[in-house]
Amino acid sequence: MKATFGEKVFYGVNYAILALIGLSCILPMIHILALSLSDAQAVVSGRVVFWPVNVTIESYRNLIVGTDVVNAFKNNVILTVVGTALSMACTIIAAYPLSRRDMYGRRFFTLAIVFTMLFSGGIIPHYLVIKSLGLLNSYGAIWLPGLVSVFNMLVLKTYFESMPLEMEEAARIDGCNEWRLLLRIVLPLSLPVLAALTLFYAVGFWNQFMNVLLFMNDPSKYNLTVMVQQMIRSQSMLQELANLQPEDIMNMTPETIKSAGVIVMLVPMLVIYPFLQKYFVKGVMIGAIKG
Amino acid sequence: MRLDTAEETAGRRTPLQLERKVDRKRLQQNIPYFLMFIPVIAYFAIFKYAPMGGLVIAFKDYNFADGVFGSPWVGFGQFETLFSNPQTLQIIRNTFVLSVLSLLIGFPFPIILAILLNEARRMWFKRWVQTFVYLPHFLSWVIVSGMVITIFATEGVINDLLAPWLGEPIAFLYEQGSWLTIFIGSGIWKGAGWGAIIYLAALSSIDPSLYESASIDGANKFRQIAHITLPGIAPTIVIVFILSVGNVMEVGFDQVYTLQNSAVFSMSEVISTYTYKIGLQRLQFSLTAAMGFFESIIGLILVLMTNAVARRFGQGLW
Repeated sequence: MKATFGEKVFYGVNYAILALIGLSCILPMIHILALSLSDAQAVVSGRVVFWPVNVTIESYRNLIVGTDVVNAFKNNVILTVVGTALSMACTIIAAYPLSRRDMYGRRFFTLAIVFTMLFSGGIIPHYLVIKSLGLLNSYGAIWLPGLVSVFNMLVLKTYFESMPLEMEEAARIDGCNEWRLLLRIVLPLSLPVLAALTLFYAVGFWNQFMNVLLFMNDPSKYNLTVMVQQMIRSQSMLQELANLQPEDIMNMTPETIKSAGVIVMLVPMLVIYPFLQKYFVKGVMIGAIKG
Repeated sequence: MRLDTAEETAGRRTPLQLERKVDRKRLQQNIPYFLMFIPVIAYFAIFKYAPMGGLVIAFKDYNFADGVFGSPWVGFGQFETLFSNPQTLQIIRNTFVLSVLSLLIGFPFPIILAILLNEARRMWFKRWVQTFVYLPHFLSWVIVSGMVITIFATEGVINDLLAPWLGEPIAFLYEQGSWLTIFIGSGIWKGAGWGAIIYLAALSSIDPSLYESASIDGANKFRQIAHITLPGIAPTIVIVFILSVGNVMEVGFDQVYTLQNSAVFSMSEVISTYTYKIGLQRLQFSLTAAMGFFESIIGLILVLMTNAVARRFGQGLW
């Protein structure tokens, strides 16, 4: 069917709007990248928009020498890797029993878990629990309360439920016990959704902010997010870069080094993002099928 | 429930014996489930339900020496303090205003975006736009606010670009109106693309022949969207709306905390940021717990209410 004039106009306008929206998502990041790579003078005089002026990696050098960024980056990686592994393990052992139709109390447990999505004790009682467990100032305070995301658990449970019962029966007849069934049959068949959930957890742990702020009081345990936030906050950041020589500080502006901090947080995300996109879209779609 | 079909058809046992056998089998099969499930029960009991119990301190005058259970009861005293203090009232109002505005203004964007994307015919173009619009969801609020603050600062790029027309820079982040716009806008920027995925999933299940017949009947694009697309995704819209109403009382701590500044405290201080500053840093545990309790209760009531309304129209969550 040939497009009418009206349709052509519609598609033209549609493409234009979409292009604008797409650009608006990516251009701010390009601007920050350009700032971080530009020389301080050019930034101060407002000559940097989307292209770096007088390219230099000075701000990254200053960031590494003058701040705790390397340690914070390491903390971020530890938080993310351990947290994601623990969370995936717990989400699986929560979703699997609840997906079995013959489990006693399955409805009760599901409701009890979903209820925690609707109502919570709030920050203060949560803090008191963490405190009384002696988890303050340890990463346990971040890993443990975030072990199972109810949403992710429901996605996985729905996926397990959609598997054909016959396959499971066959495995049982061949002498598979419950653990083997889970590890050898159910999990390998769920790889796409497991990949999606891993990504969700990893992003969550990578971006942790509030919990680190609440529960860590030792600055050497801060992750990248909290460190960068404090850098962005502080008005007199240049004085804090105690390790730097005075002549280095002359060539700096808070804008360039703050931008460099933002870029350091952003890059790992950007690097893995294209590889994982198809998985997370799939994950959301599975979640969309059933609430 | 699994039945042992082979034995059932053989019919060598009486029904009662069979039932017992089946039950024992079910019980046996349940043992590994519960072994697996114990850590999960412990997790939800300790980290989700214990804090709910800890809410009793909202009705007490909590002090460290006596602990949660030993501290003296004050009944609704904390709530009276809360509702008689103009400052805390303002914070509760701010929480409402910021979240309701974010919800009402932000809610349509993912829907519009999904419809626009659905109408894009060139696949490569659609894929590129999708890649870009999902991306902000994966950035933390610290990154997003860092970019927002850099871009909208008085010496930021927006002011640099506007300088030829305006003469002097505008303090976007320090005036209430523009701060609010930036706050809501940054929420939309970060969330709209991601929010669109769920509608795209719903859109993909609409029968294409509906569009063909509508177009033969002379419906233009706008009428097709109004009469086919929107009704097609209506159930999804309702579900997403119920879920977002449930979160209405919690404007994210991260977003507010990283964007606020002293010039706009009178509108940007919300329950979660106040709890952090007054509750945890100045140890006003009971008062801020009462505030959090109020927040959670209102949130729960809102979800139940929205769901009741949605169920009237046959689209409730439960």
